[in-house]
Amino acid sequence: MSDFHPNAKGGFIENTLEGLHFALSRAMHAEASAARTGLLQRLDPRVKVAGFLALVVAVALATKLWLIAAILVVAVALVVISSIPVRAVASRTWIGAFLFSGAIALPALFLTPGTPLYGLPITVQGLRTGSFLLMRAETAATLMLVLAYTTPWTHILKALRIFRVPVVFVVILGMTCRYILLMLETAHEMFESRKSRTVNRMTPAENRRLAIASSGVLLHKTLHLSDEVYLAMQARGFRGEVYVLDDFAMQARDWFALAAFAALTGIAIVVGR
Amino acid sequence: MMLFEVEHLTYRYEGVTAIDDLTMAIPEGRVALLGANGSGKSTLLRLLDGLIFGQSGAILFRGDDVSEEHMLDDAFALPFRRTVGMVFQNPDVQLFNPTVFDEVAFGPLQLRWPKQEVRDRVDEILERLRIGHLKNRIPQRLSGGEKKRVALASVLVLDPAVLLLDEPTAALDPRSQSEVIDLMVEWGGGSKSVITATHDLGDLEDIADHCYVLDAGKLVADGSPAEILADTELLRRTNLIHAHRHRHGGELHSHPHVHG
Amino acid sequence: MHIPDGYLSPATCAVGYAASLPFWRIALKRVKKTMHSRQVPLVSLFAALSFVIMMFNLPLPGGTTGHATGIGLATVVIGPWAAMLAVSVALVVQALFFGDGGVTAIGANCFNMAIAGALVAYVMYRLAAGRSPLASPRRVVAAGIAGYIAINFSALLAAIEFGIQPLLYKDAGGAPLYSPYPLSIAIPAMMIGHLTIAGLAELAVSAGVVAFLQRSDLSLLRTTAGKVTESSDSLPQAAPKSLRPLWAGLAILCVLTPLGILAAGSAWGEWMASDYADAAARHQIAAASFNQAAPSHAPQGLERLSSVWTAPFARYAPPYIRGAAFGYLLSAMFGVGVIVVGVLLLGSFTRSAMRAGPDSA
Repeated sequence: MSDFHPNAKGGFIENTLEGLHFALSRAMHAEASAARTGLLQRLDPRVKVAGFLALVVAVALATKLWLIAAILVVAVALVVISSIPVRAVASRTWIGAFLFSGAIALPALFLTPGTPLYGLPITVQGLRTGSFLLMRAETAATLMLVLAYTTPWTHILKALRIFRVPVVFVVILGMTCRYILLMLETAHEMFESRKSRTVNRMTPAENRRLAIASSGVLLHKTLHLSDEVYLAMQARGFRGEVYVLDDFAMQARDWFALAAFAALTGIAIVVGR
Repeated sequence: MMLFEVEHLTYRYEGVTAIDDLTMAIPEGRVALLGANGSGKSTLLRLLDGLIFGQSGAILFRGDDVSEEHMLDDAFALPFRRTVGMVFQNPDVQLFNPTVFDEVAFGPLQLRWPKQEVRDRVDEILERLRIGHLKNRIPQRLSGGEKKRVALASVLVLDPAVLLLDEPTAALDPRSQSEVIDLMVEWGGGSKSVITATHDLGDLEDIADHCYVLDAGKLVADGSPAEILADTELLRRTNLIHAHRHRHGGELHSHPHVHG
Repeated sequence: MHIPDGYLSPATCAVGYAASLPFWRIALKRVKKTMHSRQVPLVSLFAALSFVIMMFNLPLPGGTTGHATGIGLATVVIGPWAAMLAVSVALVVQALFFGDGGVTAIGANCFNMAIAGALVAYVMYRLAAGRSPLASPRRVVAAGIAGYIAINFSALLAAIEFGIQPLLYKDAGGAPLYSPYPLSIAIPAMMIGHLTIAGLAELAVSAGVVAFLQRSDLSLLRTTAGKVTESSDSLPQAAPKSLRPLWAGLAILCVLTPLGILAAGSAWGEWMASDYADAAARHQIAAASFNQAAPSHAPQGLERLSSVWTAPFARYAPPYIRGAAFGYLLSAMFGVGVIVVGVLLLGSFTRSAMRAGPDSA
């Protein structure tokens, strides 16, 4: 996971528990932030999903570093406008992407063939490549961060329909998210109860066995629930096709935002080539 | 006409005979299916709701055949789903949509109500059950009592004439339990029918006018709540009450009783 | 390996999506046919399970930790098509809602890990498990192998996708625009981590949970079992006490291999025809051969024979790999893998043949 850093000292349970906690709290943070009123929060989710994804594609297409930098500046500005807490939230994304992509980009400085830089073992090409990698990663991460924090994930889901994603997949995605939370909690409980029964540190083998046993228990729960949920869905009228409520209506500000996204993306793609 | 007629119904699953040649007639009104865990009462509810089907025998709902073939027909199934609503015991099974609003809207949407009507009805029922403020919450985060109210809302939004409840008060704290009971009492007046499967004998007279006792997939008794509650031998035999030794002020004795 | 944004060119990403789409469609159709509409909760729930399994930081022999995807496990329990969908959904949720693994790379990630992974796992599992009884240890081993090979195959695909980027996508100044590491670096870099760490994690989860299921709910293994011949004798089937011997063997072999590089010069006797003409090599040959001078020409027989068969890993280093160390390591890994798989299969076949009794085919 790109911005979760396991504690080297902690054991398997502690690390996994922390990871689970982090994932859960992240989901919750996004809920709360998306609920606040702000400029971006009030936009139609379809505009946001299409707009941000288009910008990510523009970043992917760009062959000029300064253009990626410009989009990054815009993205950071959006972070500020949307009242996303910089220290608590945004910095984690930025640092995470930096460490992850930085680690991967670093050898490229030395290994990429080309003209050496001021007599150092680094090549100009290596520096440019490293910059491309790092900046693309940061920009894409920032854009998706703004999307996630200004839009409830249920709206993101339904907005996917504009990409012709079949309804059944939207429903499957929604259910998956809902049950991920349940599984995370169940796994959390299993680990906590094991931890409370442990006097000494558990050996790696014991930790491994715990992970495997937990997976097995979760798998049972998965299959059992799946049968039951299927019955519950049928009891409420599910007969194979699913129908969802697409609740979105475009207003003036949405059209304006759409135009802004389109213009920005269009310019970026044309200039970036 | 009886609400449900069960005729020589047998249901087997993974080698276990959950329902064993059962014949019974369930009237309209408020009915309780009593039985310990494993007695078959939950299975019977699912059979009544046309979710699972027996290997032999038949179930009639107001004279109509509730069979696998008949349920394939939209013309029968869709009105049936609207008329008969079921609330499952486990909220994680009942609440499978991302938000509370989506959950309550699921039923009407699958029955293809017009979208505006869906929105209006959902808001209305959320207000009526006093959970309007939970509209955009994820089911995961709610308390047991809140989850139960969402589960009820998701079924009541269709305004079913018949409500099947599987252990409605299980795993609820006492206040939530009494709230659920009040809700059922309030809602169930007049032309509505409620069939409650439970092993909880408290509040029995509030929720049912007629009781059936199941044991190992067979019907072993039926009568009014007062009659059933008076038959302690029956209750003990079917594991609905128990007796164990305990102290009352220094004296050791035992008598049949129910906890809670 | 969850590929983030910016490592694959848009063209490669588009190919990833294009390659995945037909498989998603086929999978949905097949699952619908076998399970009617039951697939909606099943795929969702298995996706959630896969997501959570991906979060487990599994301790492995040697003190490292690794992540598994659960693709081997999913394939064995619900079949390759449903598994493919479930793990794809988990990857989409990760990318879209949790910000791991880029949005543009979803197609490629799903193709590598979910689609190719499920198909490879299924084939390997069926091959390795054969017709052994559901509760046999052979199935546990088969599941482990299936998971291990599947995840390594996924890593290889990802490595190839990375590796071709610098060949195809460079800016005007010659700087690679996306992944800058050519195949010669990408493949070893990816494979080392997966052959050792991620592969073992996948093996542990696949084998471990299948063993768990054999004790708790055998029927769950029926979906992918194919035809099963129950054992004719009444000996109780014991699950392998631990897979430690398997891991230990693999780990030792993988670790010792680089030591081979440290040993100066080529292995004695494995000289090529061209070595004889090279002065430095001749010096080595002499030093290793009790200081007897080497002939200045390769022996005639060696010259004739050496052109007959250029082993695929000629001199343990395929032509596109430049660094000797990487080449050696990669070849050793591959060789180890092949040997281990071969031995296990052979062992399984002979064991089941012996158990079935003298009158079996």
